[in-house]
Amino acid sequence: MQPIIQVSALSKSYKDFKAVNELNLTVYKGDVYGFLGPNGAGKSTTIRMLLTLIYPSSGEIKIFEKALNQHRNEILSRLGAIVEKPDFYGYLTAYKNLELLGKISGKSISSQRIMEVLELVGLKERYASKVKTYSQGMKQRLGFAQAILHDPELIILDEPTNGLDPQGMKDMRDLILHLSHDLNKTVFISSHILNEVELMANRMVILNKGKAVVEGNVQELLNSGEMSVTFEFDKQAQARESIATTKWEQKLISSTERSLVFSLLANQIPELNAFFVQHQIAVQSIVPLRSLENYFLSLTD
Amino acid sequence: MLHLIQIEVFKIFKRSRSYIGFIAIAAIVLVIELALYLDGQHFLDMAVQNLKDTFSFDGNLLNGYLAVFIILNSLWIHIPFLIALVAGDLLAGEAASGTFKLLLTRPISRFQLVLAKFTAALIYTLSLILFMAVLSVGLGVLLFGKGDLMVVQNTIYIFSQEDVGWRIASAFAFSILSMTTVAALAFLFSAFADNSIGPIIGTMAVIIALFIFTSIDLSIFRAIKPYLFTNYLGAWRLFFEEPLNAIKIARATFVLSFHILLFFSITAFHFNRKDILT
Repeated sequence: MQPIIQVSALSKSYKDFKAVNELNLTVYKGDVYGFLGPNGAGKSTTIRMLLTLIYPSSGEIKIFEKALNQHRNEILSRLGAIVEKPDFYGYLTAYKNLELLGKISGKSISSQRIMEVLELVGLKERYASKVKTYSQGMKQRLGFAQAILHDPELIILDEPTNGLDPQGMKDMRDLILHLSHDLNKTVFISSHILNEVELMANRMVILNKGKAVVEGNVQELLNSGEMSVTFEFDKQAQARESIATTKWEQKLISSTERSLVFSLLANQIPELNAFFVQHQIAVQSIVPLRSLENYFLSLTD
Repeated sequence: MLHLIQIEVFKIFKRSRSYIGFIAIAAIVLVIELALYLDGQHFLDMAVQNLKDTFSFDGNLLNGYLAVFIILNSLWIHIPFLIALVAGDLLAGEAASGTFKLLLTRPISRFQLVLAKFTAALIYTLSLILFMAVLSVGLGVLLFGKGDLMVVQNTIYIFSQEDVGWRIASAFAFSILSMTTVAALAFLFSAFADNSIGPIIGTMAVIIALFIFTSIDLSIFRAIKPYLFTNYLGAWRLFFEEPLNAIKIARATFVLSFHILLFFSITAFHFNRKDILT
């Protein structure tokens, strides 16, 4: 796998405060890489360092296998980004904003391409409106348009769904997946909406207090450790009686009139199901609840 | 680089605040020339009252060239403010509106951006002074016609009509250098600020403070006066002396150019190391 972003021992300090502390991460070609962390964890600082807006105190960043501090312009010509809230020249139209940015993108951007990306983000009808008349959601879409305008290989998105309505969030998600799956782009995405990252990312890192708490495959990380699993029964009392004095009783965390909720490892779910079958207790449904949110909270609390 | 300069110039002239300077200059020129048109002869009579006992004045002394000379005096305070209004916003405005993120994530170096913005400030200054020159000379000649120019400085100079044109052109050319120094100072402050009010006020405060220091006749101020750029902002007047003092003009040109270079270098150095947090 070809590494696209390689961050080694990256730190950024402001006087005594370490915003980012010895961060290491690797993003491979084709990844949709989730960058998670609570507010103040150092996500935006890291993204700004990846984009040369902020200078690291120490550590190394390589993008496309080249040192960022030595090949800045070449690297920036191959990536597109949204950094936090996308801001534009409000006194210019959306088209003019993109046209100006296109001129300094290192590639020749045609009018047709500008209209194409505006259509892609649903702003074609408003291309001639001044950006100051746009809503926050529209600015966010325009932010995405400028990020992909020059057809970059790597797209860095900092909270890209901020300000979007539910339909807008879905559209943005579909667009990111389209870029990754159909166009083989590498996407580095930070978000505070964990469900969003769960739906899009294949790999992720969780950052807390400037440090990477965990990095890896999203599904593997979600499947590691215990999760809460709800077993639903016709005869809950019988089920409860059957686990008394067994190891499963220790795993029971709560119950309702028709269900029992256990804290289980992924491989224990079929084992417990088999236990109920052996005891001739009909299980109506099994609902494992392992969201990124639970996982995230367990790591950052 | 050329694209970047074009973009920066385009951005300046797309903003309504950039036209405040042109409107203000048009107003200054119109008001002064109209006032001279209505009451100029009385003003001139008052000015030469004492001289009339010794000299005999003949011809059209209240002419377009005199009007231009009077208007050039407004360079001291009015024009620096109008220039600072735009130059002080060039970097700080991008910081305030959060648009550095758009520019600095493109394959352009920070030095290129600073250079393009400074060039755009230079073009704006040039346009403003040229506008002032064309309007004041055009309107002056239209209203009052041409004639010899009488200038009272340390002594009385009277320049023939044929000798005035190049002096006015040189004075305006030198004004471009003076005002570029002001633009460079405002631009420098702009690199340190995240809103444009600070650089505008800071520039005016420095200019006014230095003017005050240099006008106080204390030995400590006398010692530093030759090195202060404010001492040379009005050096366009040197073109209205006879004989022309080339050494003084060269010194003024050198000191102003040195300050422009110094202000620009500090700006570029600071901006190159600055973390963009907005």
